[in-house]
Amino acid sequence: MTDFKESPIMYGIALAVIAFIIAQSLFFAIKSWKHGKKLGITSETLKNTVISSVLFTIAPSISILVTVIVLANALGIVLPWIRLSVVGNLAYETVAAETSLGVLGGSLSNPVDNPVAFSTIAWAMTIGAGFPLFYLPLVCKKLQMKIGDTINKNDNTKKLGDVLSAAAFIGIISAFIARAINGCATTKELVLDSAGNQMLNEAGEAITKNVITESSGVISILTLICAIIFMLIFTALCQKVKKLEKFESFAMPLAMFAAMGCAILFTKVLPAELSTFTWYSVGGVM
Amino acid sequence: MKTYFYKLHKWGAVWNYAALLAMYFVPVAISVYLNAWPTLGALAKILPPLLILYWPTGVIETVTYIPMLGAGGTYLSFVTGNISNLKLPCGLNAMENAKVKANTEEGEVIATLSIAVSSIVTTVVIAVGVLAFSPVLPKITAEGSLFKPAFEQVLPALFGALGAGYFFKHWKLGIAPVLSGIIVLLFSPTMGVGILMFITIVVSIVGTLIIYKNLWLPEFKKMKEAKKK
Repeated sequence: MTDFKESPIMYGIALAVIAFIIAQSLFFAIKSWKHGKKLGITSETLKNTVISSVLFTIAPSISILVTVIVLANALGIVLPWIRLSVVGNLAYETVAAETSLGVLGGSLSNPVDNPVAFSTIAWAMTIGAGFPLFYLPLVCKKLQMKIGDTINKNDNTKKLGDVLSAAAFIGIISAFIARAINGCATTKELVLDSAGNQMLNEAGEAITKNVITESSGVISILTLICAIIFMLIFTALCQKVKKLEKFESFAMPLAMFAAMGCAILFTKVLPAELSTFTWYSVGGVM
Repeated sequence: MKTYFYKLHKWGAVWNYAALLAMYFVPVAISVYLNAWPTLGALAKILPPLLILYWPTGVIETVTYIPMLGAGGTYLSFVTGNISNLKLPCGLNAMENAKVKANTEEGEVIATLSIAVSSIVTTVVIAVGVLAFSPVLPKITAEGSLFKPAFEQVLPALFGALGAGYFFKHWKLGIAPVLSGIIVLLFSPTMGVGILMFITIVVSIVGTLIIYKNLWLPEFKKMKEAKKK
């Protein structure tokens, strides 16, 4: 019964979902391409958008793939694959699986062999993540029209709209930069007694602890700084050297890859006590 | 302009609800196939902490992303997921490269195209990875592997590169939100990025309104006077 998580039927369900996602994405890609041409956007700009988006997406996609593999230990490969392809979210799916296993008695480090536990996890993941799809069509149009009307009132409001959208963008990036400088992530793990059995509280639920899985530190800050420097150099080169002008759209993914390369280099070159230094001790309890 | 927007919202709503059906098809199919349905008692214990944490974040994210990504980009991102760590930066980067602005028809086209491409690439990378490389991948990211540090640092690399130009151009606007993010994390280091992002956006917008008060203060005074009359 251990194979049910990766049976042909599970793969069939996954392929149906993947086909849906590809169909929807292709539909919007074709519609926007055609409308872009109507608006007079050049084929070169549209092509550059496609190529730079492909390059931009590869590294984060591999990160998402790594989450699929991590979750596969407990849930088999197919369910995490489906969940991270539709409304999936790196953080949510892991937390949903951990919370479910915490209540049902288990952890992400052991395979789930009970079909009821497996289906419960699938339901918990879906119900939590699907909520925005209920209300998005109800609010999206109204909100977008309201924003458009307010911004397009006069020249001043147009300028203010531009500045505020830059401010919102900076706000988004600031959250990630702050996390690279000073943040950490935890995962719930079962508390075991000296004999290796899971400990239960008075209500009969498994007792868990928050274990730090990753933390910002020397390498995350150095990678951040390298990414900023590479991006500024690549952009300046593309703007100054005429031949490189058309490559400006690729400066960002290239800077990202270069900074990831630096993370490898720093880990190899710096003394271990420096390269592994993080503000919060990975593996410790929070 | 309006006709295209209306069409986008119609397509978006249809695909959105179809995606909802596709999404719920998965646990239903699993439960039917395994003849194993969850008990209400178990779901009643599992869901409350998840929903308290994620549903409000979902609402905040909707309000944040719609003005940034436009209709097509938002509908598509919400179906394919991984918004803050992939679709949002990808769409914003594409608009910046094409020199178009959010909330314009051109911005709408570029953001939608880039997010659609990004969704296809992610889906293909995950599918190929799962089908072809799942035995090898854990080795690439395992403890001691050469590539492990690179994959651990995807987000600092991504947002450092994405933010460089903006912070260079608008450094005055960047100081307050980054500092506020760091301070909040000092008190709550594990805070999810969805909530942290809301805080840094509010700080960034308030800071911007103070710096650029000449853009909105005269308008605001006019409105106040008009109300008095």
